Amino acid sequence: MSGDYDHDHHAPQPWGPHDWGHGAPHNSFSPLFLSMGIAIFLFSMAQAWSYGTYNPGNIPMILLGLLVIGFSLFIWWRQDLSFDGHYEPLATGVPFRGIQIRKVGVWVFLMSEMMVFTSLFSTYMRYRLGIENCGTVYERGMFDPVSNPTGWQEGVVVTCFEPASHLIASSWWHLAPGAINTFALILSSFTIVQALRYAKMPDLDDEARRKKVYRYLGTTWFLAVLFLTLKMIEWFIGFYVPEISAIGLHEHDIISLVDEGYTINADHYQHHSYVDEATGAHMVADIQVSASLFYVTTGTHGAHVAGGIIGLTYMTFKAWKGLYTPANAVSIEYFGLYWHFVDLVWVLVFPFFYLY
Amino acid sequence: MAHYKIFGQDPYWMNFFGLMILTAIEVAAVGLDLSDFAADYDTTEKVVTLWILTIIAIPKFIMIAAIFMHLYGDADSGILTLTALFPAFFIIIMVLFVGLTHPDAATALPDWCRPGNFGV
Repeated sequence: MSGDYDHDHHAPQPWGPHDWGHGAPHNSFSPLFLSMGIAIFLFSMAQAWSYGTYNPGNIPMILLGLLVIGFSLFIWWRQDLSFDGHYEPLATGVPFRGIQIRKVGVWVFLMSEMMVFTSLFSTYMRYRLGIENCGTVYERGMFDPVSNPTGWQEGVVVTCFEPASHLIASSWWHLAPGAINTFALILSSFTIVQALRYAKMPDLDDEARRKKVYRYLGTTWFLAVLFLTLKMIEWFIGFYVPEISAIGLHEHDIISLVDEGYTINADHYQHHSYVDEATGAHMVADIQVSASLFYVTTGTHGAHVAGGIIGLTYMTFKAWKGLYTPANAVSIEYFGLYWHFVDLVWVLVFPFFYLY
Repeated sequence: MAHYKIFGQDPYWMNFFGLMILTAIEVAAVGLDLSDFAADYDTTEKVVTLWILTIIAIPKFIMIAAIFMHLYGDADSGILTLTALFPAFFIIIMVLFVGLTHPDAATALPDWCRPGNFGV
């Protein structure tokens, strides 16, 4: 079906100037409009909830941002839907001569992404090492002017670093959503590479290819949705563990991080274990820095997963329509690079934010 | 796409299994009681866990980048690896000079990070 639209009535017609059969480059202005839409949306969101004050006057601008995002995606995808890999431009300059321009572009984009996450990690290291751990403060014991002048006092807030792992890694059940997510992301990296493998396989008939590719992409989409769902459960909802006496399981609730009081504005945080057994006094901590770091870093990663879901939705649709061929399968590879990068970041986020 | 084998098997499957095993070890390292092991090395369980997690994260990182992201085995793997490594310089600057510094750096940095330990 490479570009011969007159003879293939099932192939979608190209939009606008994208006449692949006559050497049109695979480009679009839509990403620029998409960026503008995202900017309008984010600025309006920031204005609408500025310093804790809700300003409903910005709602129309938020909707406008969403509208621009929606239209940009629609036009971009509609333009891409007919792309059959007829003309994939190659770089001509050193050092990328002969490599697809889109592939180089994705790698340059990933370089910028590395910087984003490095800044978050370096901030985490800075504060993790620079602020005393709440557990260490608690273990020093209660204040006594003579015997323990550096101890904590009930009613006096201690500013300290409370890693989320203190809650998350406290039991297997608390750890379960994060651990399942880790396996889900690795599995999704595998499923997308399998989708690419079958899309590129030359000796596969069209229907078999269509089924393999959309099933693998669909599985990747499902795993990404599972990832965000479990994150919501871990952050906001919590879950219930039933009584199964046969395996020694006792009924109990796993409380979400927010319900535990682990929030970005927690300036009077009380962990249930920070209690002096002799007096019953509670150590109260200001953990805004550590909680903010946790939510901003894992949230930025989650936003990347959400972006991936949007892309995967389109790609799964395109695969379901049977429009991926060995000639245009590189599109799956380019998205796969982004998706593997998201997995790569999680490889570091999970041990250092969830386990340690 | 990969045109090579790992131990005679498909590289994507092998990579997938390897990553699963390493992740299982990570989770186990957090759940297991390592206090006796830590005491043998005159350190805390937290430090042992951190070492295990860091050591495991490195091969996981390389396995995803090299095999799933095709930075190994393709014709353009070399130049794309260099491209991916380009920000490493800035990352090192950020990690060393932002991540590991704080106002009381002279007294509170870990030993391995202070000049005296390099014979300076």
